Amino acid sequence: MEPFELAQPTRLEDALSLLADPDASPLAGGTDLLDRMKEHLDAPKLLVSLKRLGLDSIASDSAKGLRLGALSPLMAVATHPEVKARYPALAAAAAHAATPNVRAQGTLGGSLAQRPRCWYFRSEAFFCRRHGGNTCFALDGENQLHALFDNGECAAIHPSTLATPLLAYDAQVVVASAKGRRTLALAEFFVAPGDDVTKENVLMPGELLTEVLLPAPTPGTRSAYLKQGQRESNDWPLADVAVTLVMDAEVVKQARVALGAAAPTPMRATAAEVVLMGHAPDEVHAKAAADAQMKLANPLSKNRYKVDVFRAVIARAIVAAATGRSTS
Amino acid sequence: MSSEDSGWSRRGFLKGAVVGAALPVDALAVAAPKRLGPGPSPLELTVNGAKHSLQVEPRATLAQVLRDQLGLTGTKVGCDRGACSACTVHIDGQPMNSCSLLAHEVAGRAIVTIEGLARGDSLHKVQETFIEHDALQCGFCTPGMVMSAAGLLARNKTPTLDEVQGAVAGNVCRCGTYPKVVAATLAAAGQGVAPGSLEVIPAGDGSTPPPGTVAVGLGGGKSGFEVRALPEGEPAGWPTNSGLKVVGKPTPRLDGRAKVTGAARYTFDVKLPGMLHARRVVSPHPHARVLEVDTRAAEKMPGVKAVHVVEHGMEGARLRDTTLESPSRYPTVRYVGQVVAAVAATTPEAAEAAARKVKVTYEPLPFAASLDDARRPDAARVYPGPVDMGGSGGGGGAAKGLPMEGNVRGPALTERGDVEKALKGAAVKVSGRFRTQVQTHSAMEPHGVVADWRPDGLTVYSSTQGVSSVRDELAAVFELPAAKVRVVSEYMGGGFGAKFGAGHYGVVAVHLSRKAGAPVRLVLDRREEHLAGGNRPSSDQTLTLGAGKDGALTAVKLDSYGSGGIATGAGVGWAADRLYPAPNFHGAQYDVFTNASPSTAFRAPGMPQAMFALEQLVDELAERLGQDPLALRERIDAEAEGAMERDARRAERALGATRIGWSSRHAPGADAGPVKRGLGMAQALWGRFVDPASSAEVRVHKDGSVELRTGVADLGTGSRTALAMLVAEELGLQANQVTVRLADTDLPYAPGSGGSKTEVSLSPAVRTAAAGAKRKLLEVAAARLGAPAQDLVCAGGKVFAKSRPDQGLTLARACASLPGEFISQLSVRAADYGGPPRGGYGGVQFAEVSVDTQTGIVKVERVVAVHDCGRPINPLAIQSQINGGVLHGLSWALYEDRVLDARNGQTLNPTLDSYQIAGARETPRIDVVLLEQYVGRSSTDAHGIGEPANIATAAAIANAFYNATGKRIRRLPMKPGTVLAALAGKEV
Repeated sequence: MEPFELAQPTRLEDALSLLADPDASPLAGGTDLLDRMKEHLDAPKLLVSLKRLGLDSIASDSAKGLRLGALSPLMAVATHPEVKARYPALAAAAAHAATPNVRAQGTLGGSLAQRPRCWYFRSEAFFCRRHGGNTCFALDGENQLHALFDNGECAAIHPSTLATPLLAYDAQVVVASAKGRRTLALAEFFVAPGDDVTKENVLMPGELLTEVLLPAPTPGTRSAYLKQGQRESNDWPLADVAVTLVMDAEVVKQARVALGAAAPTPMRATAAEVVLMGHAPDEVHAKAAADAQMKLANPLSKNRYKVDVFRAVIARAIVAAATGRSTS
Repeated sequence: MSSEDSGWSRRGFLKGAVVGAALPVDALAVAAPKRLGPGPSPLELTVNGAKHSLQVEPRATLAQVLRDQLGLTGTKVGCDRGACSACTVHIDGQPMNSCSLLAHEVAGRAIVTIEGLARGDSLHKVQETFIEHDALQCGFCTPGMVMSAAGLLARNKTPTLDEVQGAVAGNVCRCGTYPKVVAATLAAAGQGVAPGSLEVIPAGDGSTPPPGTVAVGLGGGKSGFEVRALPEGEPAGWPTNSGLKVVGKPTPRLDGRAKVTGAARYTFDVKLPGMLHARRVVSPHPHARVLEVDTRAAEKMPGVKAVHVVEHGMEGARLRDTTLESPSRYPTVRYVGQVVAAVAATTPEAAEAAARKVKVTYEPLPFAASLDDARRPDAARVYPGPVDMGGSGGGGGAAKGLPMEGNVRGPALTERGDVEKALKGAAVKVSGRFRTQVQTHSAMEPHGVVADWRPDGLTVYSSTQGVSSVRDELAAVFELPAAKVRVVSEYMGGGFGAKFGAGHYGVVAVHLSRKAGAPVRLVLDRREEHLAGGNRPSSDQTLTLGAGKDGALTAVKLDSYGSGGIATGAGVGWAADRLYPAPNFHGAQYDVFTNASPSTAFRAPGMPQAMFALEQLVDELAERLGQDPLALRERIDAEAEGAMERDARRAERALGATRIGWSSRHAPGADAGPVKRGLGMAQALWGRFVDPASSAEVRVHKDGSVELRTGVADLGTGSRTALAMLVAEELGLQANQVTVRLADTDLPYAPGSGGSKTEVSLSPAVRTAAAGAKRKLLEVAAARLGAPAQDLVCAGGKVFAKSRPDQGLTLARACASLPGEFISQLSVRAADYGGPPRGGYGGVQFAEVSVDTQTGIVKVERVVAVHDCGRPINPLAIQSQINGGVLHGLSWALYEDRVLDARNGQTLNPTLDSYQIAGARETPRIDVVLLEQYVGRSSTDAHGIGEPANIATAAAIANAFYNATGKRIRRLPMKPGTVLAALAGKEV
């Protein structure tokens, strides 16, 4: 690691003004940033610790939704009674991410804003597009863990497992800067490679992700999250699926199917959602929905198998949501 | 803590300021948050209840501060990337990775390290149960493991099995302690019994062999005595284990306490006064000529004390004709990660910064980085001509003078009879191509040394499996007399075959120490470890078996190619030749050089690869013949030659079949539904290697204390404890009453700990030394007791006459009138007594797997591992070794794979995150069955177990995969892509 200065502000305003410096980086749990600094992939001159800003609370809001401070550790998200009761897919995702220690250190905001884990991106040896170069080394290289969708420019998958259920729950994020706050849909927080391959989200210098807002689930919403890694002990997902279903009697009135580890941004599987509408979310329709989505996949030379894995996991997640407990 | 306090006061001040109208301008300036660094800044840390006022750079991690500034080296750094949890500490009671916390970020928090877990002499309950259950081997991951387990119990007094596995799911253990970690943690919570078992099948009745004979027998089978001519000075043969007091009894390891408290000092932890830190400069190219190395900028960097530029290639093979390469003052680099230069500086950070300033000019050369690429006739040449390669202390090397064409060296040929003719005439033929991947050793303690060059001699602390191998190589390289080189490796964090010899890092560190005139620490980081720490080579075998209608093998034909990078050693051993000997055999084995890092010995080199092919084809043959796989092996594993291991395997097959429930095995692919289960088995063989120079000294001091001195390294296998048990048995003591000094070239010579030869080689020397020391002790005691020495015995810590057990002397009293400081007996291993002329180890493993046919996920649910290892000395440690062997095999079969991009030679997954090793949740139930086996070939009759335990696992899993799915899998690892392709009937 290169030397740097460390600021530990206690007021958000101070943090935001420090972060206006383009050589400054926010430091939350540090589980991603410090790794990148050790690998010489990043060398900020100033780290602004966010630990003392009081951004780690989880509480109901006036509209009966939930506000989650961006500094909430994953472990707190996984074990919070309201999250477990009303947003079980989010609790499950937080409980299955990384390792116990990383869940205690890593934060919700860090999960959403972490950088890709693509092994080309993570190596000093490869000056890839995301680093400002001209090549995506994964496209015709070792792309077995890479994206199936939107992978023409950069094949890295978005690594956030928490984004997957948050997308299925229609979450919003609050972004603060010295100018004020803005609230945007989570889907709008992420930046696709076609728009700017060098960044994964809309945050500009001086801006900070401070909160995640979860709307109150429509009564009768059923949800599920399934992560399929190669290992269970500690692994990134090969396929990561969250499903929320709003039922009208026996048929689906609204479906949200979100996929992680599928594309450079967390994505909604809208083709799958369409298939489910108006049907019972049984095995037959779940499989049809999964097939419809995965037909659209654009596998690379070594990741075709991921299409099959996703097909299975999407169908299973839909059935799990349908047969799971509904939340009020 | 101060920053929090000042934060509050600032807030209070500003609050007032908003209300007040006139605000002094400089007061606002004060309100801006303080910036620390980039240099050392004051920091107060509360560690284990004590406050420390320190000066710390903002970039320092908590792990660095604990280890380097506070000397709390119990906290280990296994990856420095939050991926292995070796550095786990408690922050306000919560386990966290101290490698990914900045020290300044935990100011004011209550930090507890492994050193602070015990209350004085009284250990934490988890520490106690870890020792009792032998939940540790090399011990390098143990502090983190203990902290994770203790953290769980602090918040959950009654955890379930699943919760315990979850709590240690982030802790990487390379020795495979998971079954016992889980058992120990559950035991600490009083939560019943974890899955897994140990069963010892005894032989004999423990009666004393009549003079001139030794006990022989096999667990569950016949036993008796056979006549042997014992070499002079050898003690009489022991009875079988039921007749002994210490040997054969499960015994917690002697260094358990040191390891669970963090007190054990590894090479990684050695800190000498004035010690410098080294950082290497490595090649980013897979193949290049080094044109210039400009060190001027590096030398001017702050803190730099020495720079060394490598002038001789230290790795890989040697050209037969060195003129084929144009002369250069630098060696040609042949893989990404090969060392070119190194820097020593006052801090690790200064060394790293300076190393990045060394400017190397390369002329990149064409390269071949994959096995397939390198075999093409037009492939770029890794070496410009034919090469040879000698072995190291860990074996390896290759027969000299084999033909070499392009990058393909060989064949190493074994021929018998006429294979082609026999195959033509065979009633049944089965054939297949089997491919396996590169596996890195990934020991939790990386390769490393602290080298201390002084005018009067060189001392090197090295993480090594063989201190003598390090000394001999360094003495040769630096033209020093062996007597002036001392190598020490008191605690050792895993090796698995990769830690023999001085190593490129060791040679470089000694150069730097000599130049700087100061001790130099050079320890590889995790990335470097993956890149240049050795590996198990890849393999690509085509194997054909021919058999008669009755199943008798008539022909075996093997052609194998493999790549150990720039090294030889990619053969697949002798399994195809000898496990089921056929009258007609053809074996042609080739090394294919690639521009990749050199392989080294890895736990039973070649054999797991060989079994993956051979045992699958034997199963196929059984199916073709309509026979049960066990029945066919009963038929073909029955030749007279190697009777000892064949007898063992026969018994092992029967025992294992009962325990796994073989009779309920269904037809291949019979399960309905997407998740299919199956049972499979495979066999092992391994040679019995003996180092006849093995020696040990036993001392009985004037105060009655007993010391065993031998140079052997205990790399986590438990040698220290097993050897102490032998001494204790002879001298009538408990094992923990014997002090063991080991892993130092100042001690008597012992073999390198590899090849499963440690116990078989060294234990007889230890027992003979102990028996000799006892003889001398009894002579001293005879005078005091007024009885002839031959009437005296040692038992219960006393010496007494057989007829007067009530009038004993403690060892202290017996030795009080010694003329010198101590009684000493130095013994060298005697030649084998004779006994069975050939053969070595058997071993049979059974696996139960489930295969999710939709996702391609394979899970191993259960393994029954049935093994023989001669006289078992410490069954508790043997069980740990077998668990570890099984987990190595399982992890290789399912997960591990060094991914190297053939287009550029870069290793893409050199982390413990992306290089996947089986963890707690991948660990199946492992039931170990151990056969006592007595053949009477040495004074202990002990054999090894490290390697036999690793040989059959992957093959058993592959056969279970077939039984589950009805499809053969011929490529490892069994990752989803490979599995789904195999299920679809496609080759990948």
